[in-house]
Amino acid sequence: MILDWLPPTLIGVLLALAAIGAVRRINLWRAGQAEKVDFLAGLLAMPKRYLHDLHHVVERDKYMSRTHVATGGGFVLAMVLVLFIHLFGVKSEILAWALLGALVMMFCGALFVAKRRLNPPSRLSKGPWMRLPKSLLTFSITFFVLTLPAAGILPEGTGGWVLTLVLSVLILMSLSEMLFGMTWGGPMKHAFAGALHLAFHRRSERFGGGRSTGLKPVDFGDGVSVKEVHGVAKPTDFKWNQLLGFDACVQCGRCEAVCPAFAAGQPLNPKKLIQDMVVGFAGGTDEKYAGSPYPGVEVGNAKGAPNQIITNGLVNPDTLWSCTTCRACVEECPMMIEHVDAIVDMRRFLTLEKGETPNKGAQVLENIIATDNPNGYSPASRTHWAADQNLNVMKDVKQADVLFWVSDGAFDMRSQRILRSFVKLLKAANVDVAILGDEELDSGDVARRLGDDAAFQSLAKRNLATLSKYNFKTIVTTDPHAFHCLKNEYGDFGSDALKGVEVLHHTTFLNRLIKEDRFNLKPLQGSKVTYHDPCYLGRYNGEYEAPRELLASLGIEVAEMERSRYRSRCCGGGGGAPITDIPGERRIADMRMEDVTSTGANMVAVGCQQCTAMLEGVVEPRPVVKDIAEILAGQLIEEAH
Amino acid sequence: MLPNVKVVSLVSVGRHPQSGRARRAEQDGRAVELGLKLASNELKVVHAGNAQEPVLRQYAGMGLSSLTVLEQESNCDALSVLTTFLHENKFDVVLTGVRAEGGESSGMLPYLLAEQLGWPLVPRVADIISIQGGEAEVLLALPRGQRRAVKVKLPFIASVDNAAQEARQSAFGPGLRAQLKVLDVASVVDEAASHWQISAAKPRPKRIKVVKAKTAADRMKAATAKPVGGGGKVMKDETAAEKAQAIFDLLLEEKVVR
Amino acid sequence: MSHLSSNDSSLDNLFRRDPRAEWIARNRLHPLHGEMMQAGSAEVRGPSGLLRKNPHVIGFIGPNGIKRIDRANISSAAIGGKKRSNEAKEVLLPLHIVENPDFYIMVVADMVGGRLTGHDKDILGLAHKLVAKQNGAVTLVCFGENKETQCDLAGVDRLIHLEGDEYDGFAPEARLTALQEIEAQYKPVHWLFPDSVHGGTDLACRLSARLGERLAAQAWQVNAEQTVCRGASASHDILRDTPRILTLLEECGDAIDETRHQVLPISVDSIKQVSPNVIDKGLIAVDSNAVPLAEAEFILSAGNGIHNWDQFHSTAAALGATEGASRVAVDDGFMPRERQVGASGTWVTARVYLAVGISGAIQHMQGIGQCDKVIAINTDAGCDMVKRADLAVIADSEEILAELTRLAQEHSLSKNQEEKSDAA
Repeated sequence: MILDWLPPTLIGVLLALAAIGAVRRINLWRAGQAEKVDFLAGLLAMPKRYLHDLHHVVERDKYMSRTHVATGGGFVLAMVLVLFIHLFGVKSEILAWALLGALVMMFCGALFVAKRRLNPPSRLSKGPWMRLPKSLLTFSITFFVLTLPAAGILPEGTGGWVLTLVLSVLILMSLSEMLFGMTWGGPMKHAFAGALHLAFHRRSERFGGGRSTGLKPVDFGDGVSVKEVHGVAKPTDFKWNQLLGFDACVQCGRCEAVCPAFAAGQPLNPKKLIQDMVVGFAGGTDEKYAGSPYPGVEVGNAKGAPNQIITNGLVNPDTLWSCTTCRACVEECPMMIEHVDAIVDMRRFLTLEKGETPNKGAQVLENIIATDNPNGYSPASRTHWAADQNLNVMKDVKQADVLFWVSDGAFDMRSQRILRSFVKLLKAANVDVAILGDEELDSGDVARRLGDDAAFQSLAKRNLATLSKYNFKTIVTTDPHAFHCLKNEYGDFGSDALKGVEVLHHTTFLNRLIKEDRFNLKPLQGSKVTYHDPCYLGRYNGEYEAPRELLASLGIEVAEMERSRYRSRCCGGGGGAPITDIPGERRIADMRMEDVTSTGANMVAVGCQQCTAMLEGVVEPRPVVKDIAEILAGQLIEEAH
Repeated sequence: MLPNVKVVSLVSVGRHPQSGRARRAEQDGRAVELGLKLASNELKVVHAGNAQEPVLRQYAGMGLSSLTVLEQESNCDALSVLTTFLHENKFDVVLTGVRAEGGESSGMLPYLLAEQLGWPLVPRVADIISIQGGEAEVLLALPRGQRRAVKVKLPFIASVDNAAQEARQSAFGPGLRAQLKVLDVASVVDEAASHWQISAAKPRPKRIKVVKAKTAADRMKAATAKPVGGGGKVMKDETAAEKAQAIFDLLLEEKVVR
Repeated sequence: MSHLSSNDSSLDNLFRRDPRAEWIARNRLHPLHGEMMQAGSAEVRGPSGLLRKNPHVIGFIGPNGIKRIDRANISSAAIGGKKRSNEAKEVLLPLHIVENPDFYIMVVADMVGGRLTGHDKDILGLAHKLVAKQNGAVTLVCFGENKETQCDLAGVDRLIHLEGDEYDGFAPEARLTALQEIEAQYKPVHWLFPDSVHGGTDLACRLSARLGERLAAQAWQVNAEQTVCRGASASHDILRDTPRILTLLEECGDAIDETRHQVLPISVDSIKQVSPNVIDKGLIAVDSNAVPLAEAEFILSAGNGIHNWDQFHSTAAALGATEGASRVAVDDGFMPRERQVGASGTWVTARVYLAVGISGAIQHMQGIGQCDKVIAINTDAGCDMVKRADLAVIADSEEILAELTRLAQEHSLSKNQEEKSDAA
């Protein structure tokens, strides 16, 4: 056979090209900032992370998970065997049969991929991705035929040089996609970058069922040069493994499908944002992007380069300010990409370096700095709401079982109703509770999401200093945002104030009290109730059950919304979104209220003052919005004394 | 930006009305903003006081590369050091706030500077529209959003009103990096002020309607009369014209429709 | 026709008896008794001339059949009205005369629109306190047109009225020159200025800088020796010796109301004016809608109940109101964000807030907390805005706005004509 050398050579050449591509790609990532990663442990953990954690997310779409197992598994196995059989020329019928089996499996998977692509949903990217099933099919068929002789099914030399030539062309076509494309930016890039991303993920705590949702602090420490720019200005300001993470995106568009800002027509699409980040660190334009654009923004005009300021031509700041930090995209991403981290990183640059927080952002931050609350109320009026509540103040009692973290709801007349309801319940249960009173400061949540980590850290440190003065075992708060900060973000500042302290959301705490029979409730009748999961309680902290159990204890059967629990749709109130107020076609809160209405409920229970405010902002008639504490307090059977 | 116009903004330490904490003073921030509009990078910003004051970083965060501090104690009068400074450095436009948020807040500083330098003073400026041929066109802020245009020859001092363009957001990073040029100056202690007794502001009693009644019956009547506007009137069944007339009468009575 | 002479008694302060009326009053069976008691229920004189009340005729039967006594006399508007016209008889207050004053206290008034403001009158009152029964003259210094007709009642002993083109419009330099001349001629013991944005503060500061006298700004408690003035953006009180020049806050003193004053014009000779450095180019026309919401005095605010937005805008223009909006109206894109009133928008300080179709979410009510008068137009009589409002109209907004526009146009038309006839 004169052309026998051709297939192995092609394989070899493409493999070499892929290797060159891989080095080049790795260098692109390495342009990012240093970040300590345990390489070996990561690589070792990678298969398990893939099979367990990643698959767990993919599994939410059964069709896709099976398809991916067949196609991906088949391909990886086949590719390894191809190397042995066709490149190194290992003569083994068993291996050849195994390869045939792998190829058949892959072929079946690829058929389903092709079927999916016949009429793809809008969230999927088109362009090169439409080509992928063809390449997959070509690969499996080509190598199937090529392997038949090795398996002894066909005699050597069948088809002569014509077949070899045809097969070689097909090898070239399919392997260009599968190997060359993998490292040079084709759709298969996700396999290469994805695998490494899983290995070197910035939040390794997320794997194995853990949760890691607190933002990483900006380093303002002594070691940082004064000249250093805070936040992410250029793509190379990201950590290298963040860049790697962006490259892992498969453009499946699940993030886009769940993003509240995208649905509201605000100029944000998490998938496009990640692709723009790739455009940024690889250089070029977004012309080749074949998915849904940012609503209202034309594709093709964004240009980026590794050392170009991102907001100068690559991403419009409005895109970054549209995010409510609800984490729906992160929760839904099968590649476990951290969209919110990236967005807040870039916001930090806009706020800390440019001073360009839009709309009321600047004013809110100024207020936080000057008054320790976002609306600029007098710090001395923080405890006015509790004038008639007869609550212990930590300054006087020094210790209590429970510290009630009141949060900035103390200044808002609507939120005060929630606070009073909760206090009523605490009193009914005879809880030894105290508040910090005027010593409490804003948790810093808004400042941090708006990118002002300096203000956040200042608040955090001062709050921690206050907390460290007193003795308590538990902190309870009615505000999931403060809850998140206290529980997940205050730990970064080297204080022992919260060591051994349990931080709880009021629903969790109340649920415990009910289980301990600390107060009596009469069942709630005549209301059909649904429950809205606040993002910072649910996705950020995994508390889905306690609120539902509380409602169940009132004899309420929750009429669940289609999007509930980890898929809950944001109310639009997080991440400073109501402050930056980027215009869209609709309001997120209105959409959420439609979700509520479609259950037929006449009351929506929430566990967050921000959600209450947002949902109550929807024009009446609409279902009643009540915090769970308010519902419970209304059903309390007060014992006669 | 206007070429060859040397602008200086004088800034002080403000006071937040709710928390009483030091902050970028509202009007001084606007003076810097207006200065940046006129001179961009060439703007000089000067503070007479403590160079360690963190609030200076908030001014610097508006994009200033440097800030000049005439260092002196808090009980010193800013007038003399500023006069010397303005004498030694030739400026065309000096911008200040109308009234400081701390200290005596008499609003005298720009007037005294103008008097000592012999320059015209333009009070309560909303905007400086143009500077051409040694002459500036200035918009003055009048109450309730009204404006007046004036012309004034350079050099002049302007006090910047709350109606001027709001100060831009102060960015943390640039504020931290800006250079503080501390100048040693011969400061003068404010002797007169040291004799004052300063206390927290007492709430001022609201003036009550005193009825100068001659008879007991009149006083009784005044004391027991229903306070006006207590409950609020609701009109339901009248015609639209009557309802509108009632509203309009109230508007006239309140003198908002003239 | 019988009538009680007591009605006329106030005229000459002589009490005349009417024996017949008294007889009828005593005789309850007299056919005219009821009528007599009705008419005379206000005042009946006993035989000695003392005022007597007849407890049987006081009060009326309330809707639930119980007798009610209306001590505040709200329902007796008709009688009260008659009485008031009697009481409102011009009372000639005693004239306070100052001859050859030993000293002068100058009050440089704002005279907004050519009339003394309430602020000016308070300061004139305070000036008399400073005179403290000595032979000093409170002198009003005013520039430009003087339309004030009641200077005598406001406590003006002497009047320096400076008129002329040079003082019109924005002319602090010319006015300062005049004040300097007055200073030279009269050597007043005090110069009092309103601490106001109408030019009082500006002129005071100029005079203070020129004379080298340290003024006391934002003074609110002043006597001849000591002054309490606000400092540090009104967070401190500064107690200090009373200086010669003061700028005074509103309600620093009580306006004069028990005396008349001479208002003798005194002259200032030879004010040498030089051409000013700051040249007035006149007022700029400002659209009422361009006024920042927080500064606006009169806000017409729109909510969800507005359907005809063109009409809303034209009504605002006709009334000369600044436009505001509820959050919903802003979210729905009908109004720009900077027009939003409320806790999450702008906190407004308007004197009159006219809310059209706004039911009054709690955040909105927080934002209008400082408004003096709230007027609501709403279809829902039970909403919070109606409860808060001083005047609430339950109706469809479109009708009422149309009527309001018409009224505003008529009003401005009639005013224009008035002005024309004034000018003619």
